[in-house]
Amino acid sequence: MRSIVLPGEEAQGARHAPCTYYENGRVYSSAIGMLDTERGGVIPLEGPWSPRIGEQVVGTVTDSKNHVYTVDLSYYCRALIIGSRYDRESVEIGDVIEATIKNIEDRSVLILSYPKTLLGGVLVNIKPAKVPRVIGKEDTMLRQIEGLTRTRMVVGRNGVAWIKGKPQDTELAMRAISLIEAKAHQQGLTETVKMMLENESRNRKGE
Amino acid sequence: MEIIETVKGGYVRNMLREGKRTGGRGMMDFRSISVRAGVMPNAEGSAQADVGDTRVLVGVKMMPEDPMPDTPDQGNMITNAELLQLAYEEYEPGPPSPESVEFARVVDRGIRAANCIDLTSLVLEDKKVWSIFIDLYVLNYGGNLFDAGYLAAMAALMNAKVPNYKDGAADHRQRDKSLKIDNIVTSATFGKIDGSVLLDMDINEERIADTRLTVAADGSVIRAMQKGLRGSLTVQEVRDMIGVSMEKHAQLKSVLETAVKEAK
Amino acid sequence: MGSSLNKPELLKGGKRLDGRGFDELRPLRIEAGVLKNANGSAYLEWGNNKVLAAVYGPREAMPKHVSDPTKGIVKCRYMMAPFSGIDDHGRSGPNRRSTEISKVAREAFENVILLNDYPSGMIEIFMEVLQSDGGTRAAGITAASVALANAGIHMKDMVYSVSAGRIGEHIVLDVNMIEDNYSDADMPMVIAPRNNDILLLQMDGGLDRAQFDQAVKMVLEAGKRIHAEQKRALEAYYGSAEKG
Repeated sequence: MRSIVLPGEEAQGARHAPCTYYENGRVYSSAIGMLDTERGGVIPLEGPWSPRIGEQVVGTVTDSKNHVYTVDLSYYCRALIIGSRYDRESVEIGDVIEATIKNIEDRSVLILSYPKTLLGGVLVNIKPAKVPRVIGKEDTMLRQIEGLTRTRMVVGRNGVAWIKGKPQDTELAMRAISLIEAKAHQQGLTETVKMMLENESRNRKGE
Repeated sequence: MEIIETVKGGYVRNMLREGKRTGGRGMMDFRSISVRAGVMPNAEGSAQADVGDTRVLVGVKMMPEDPMPDTPDQGNMITNAELLQLAYEEYEPGPPSPESVEFARVVDRGIRAANCIDLTSLVLEDKKVWSIFIDLYVLNYGGNLFDAGYLAAMAALMNAKVPNYKDGAADHRQRDKSLKIDNIVTSATFGKIDGSVLLDMDINEERIADTRLTVAADGSVIRAMQKGLRGSLTVQEVRDMIGVSMEKHAQLKSVLETAVKEAK
Repeated sequence: MGSSLNKPELLKGGKRLDGRGFDELRPLRIEAGVLKNANGSAYLEWGNNKVLAAVYGPREAMPKHVSDPTKGIVKCRYMMAPFSGIDDHGRSGPNRRSTEISKVAREAFENVILLNDYPSGMIEIFMEVLQSDGGTRAAGITAASVALANAGIHMKDMVYSVSAGRIGEHIVLDVNMIEDNYSDADMPMVIAPRNNDILLLQMDGGLDRAQFDQAVKMVLEAGKRIHAEQKRALEAYYGSAEKG
């Protein structure tokens, strides 16, 4: 069963963090979310990204000093690529990149690795809490949007997505993302998005 | 959806090059406009104008005060704008920014120039006059504050009731008379991006605009203009913008009149 | 408290001037998620009070020297619009009163926000009073609590705020402007409802110990109704998203 829980409400049946805390042997929610009793957790409805090692991110290289590159991830913590330590230096200031979080140092400095430059395209914000739905199980949603809009997309867990395609195709992909953000907790979302995109393509051909 | 980074070529630019805008909007189309008057009844007059994602709230207050030394025979009009921090992550605390001062002054200028309020009618006894305070509160920034500001300020003034005045004091709880409005001014603000001219820029467009021009007009003449940003305009471009602004006036005026009527 | 000169009668036939009973709240309505740019927001109408609250963050703590690598920091701004009062036009910008309210509100929120989850971060809370009729800090904080939840900020509880006061021998709930000006005591509180912890407490006027007890009891009882409206607002926002 699923129901909305607010911060401070008992999250009966929830076991693990994130978004929960223990006090006197009871579990409480620490964020607004859906209480999922089957999986025993609170799925956040909102909120900032909580970075974890191994996650894929998308950002822009903004600075470089002594082989250390600063990457803007639209997130408040510093993110660095340390050229000499992990990677060949293949990025430049201004590059849009996808990369993996290799380590988190001093609790708030993200060390990125395996940067790959993304050429052209556009970056858009996605609510970090909705990123899992935009990607879908085993990338199904993402692949569907790419296929039906004839775009290429890379979605970072930090809530930044890179989209490349013709302007009207890109705009259609952006509309698909907005639709997912608005209806993230509906059943049959894949089908809803598919219908919207197919309708749009049909209308466009009719023009 | 906010586009956070326009990589080489630029998404908005590419669209404009093909003569298109996001959401299928035409170059000379406004986004959706909604005006509600009388939303803050403690104020003498109030209105909120929503233009796309931009939200501007205006409160009008009236106080008996001394006239300005150089205009002893007329009332005062004081316009101020607050770019509230809650409206946009880049708005900062502290003294008014140049942007907020420009915003307030441009709205003030059009209302004054169009003689919307006859300031000489605001003289009270004992050398006191009414001061009309127009406070523009930006609640959400979504591009093009100017046109939303004009709409909200104009609707708030049209919605305003004058406090009763007795024995040298205002009674704000008794407001029997409407503030007399002699003219209605509205504005249209244009942008220029890589040579494309467009009306009512949204947040993504305004961020990369080279040039901006606000044209405030009433039914017959231009009342105020303000160019902003570093780019340039040709004479013909300005003439075209004036034409569009005057053409849009009728539509905007009727939005205002409907909003004020519905508030009553 | 207000001067005793020209003090109006605050009670008529056992009721308050606006017709409320002693333990009655003014009508309260909250809407969540009203602003596009903010990470979380809420609009609240409480009697004639109208308040907009918004939350930004976490973002990089600025200026740099206030940043704490072990936990997040909170900034809070409470402000009244110059057109918010029915009488005079107010000054814009912070004054001593708004600075104090911003401080005690911040301290209340610092208690419930799980700051350890946001090292080097900063969470900004804005409370803009657009129309005022007494009890605006309670209105602002109650709205900001909804805005924080709407922003997905991790908190151990969702606070609410309301004041109790005294008119003569009677303890009254949710003091309005005229009561605030002339009543015999006013005591705004912020409560974390899970354990009824007191996170903000201010008082002026005069209360004996029994009156204090009664006022607290009234606040806690009213808290259930205030919290229910906060919850309703959030469920309405997310419920509509769910139904589409």
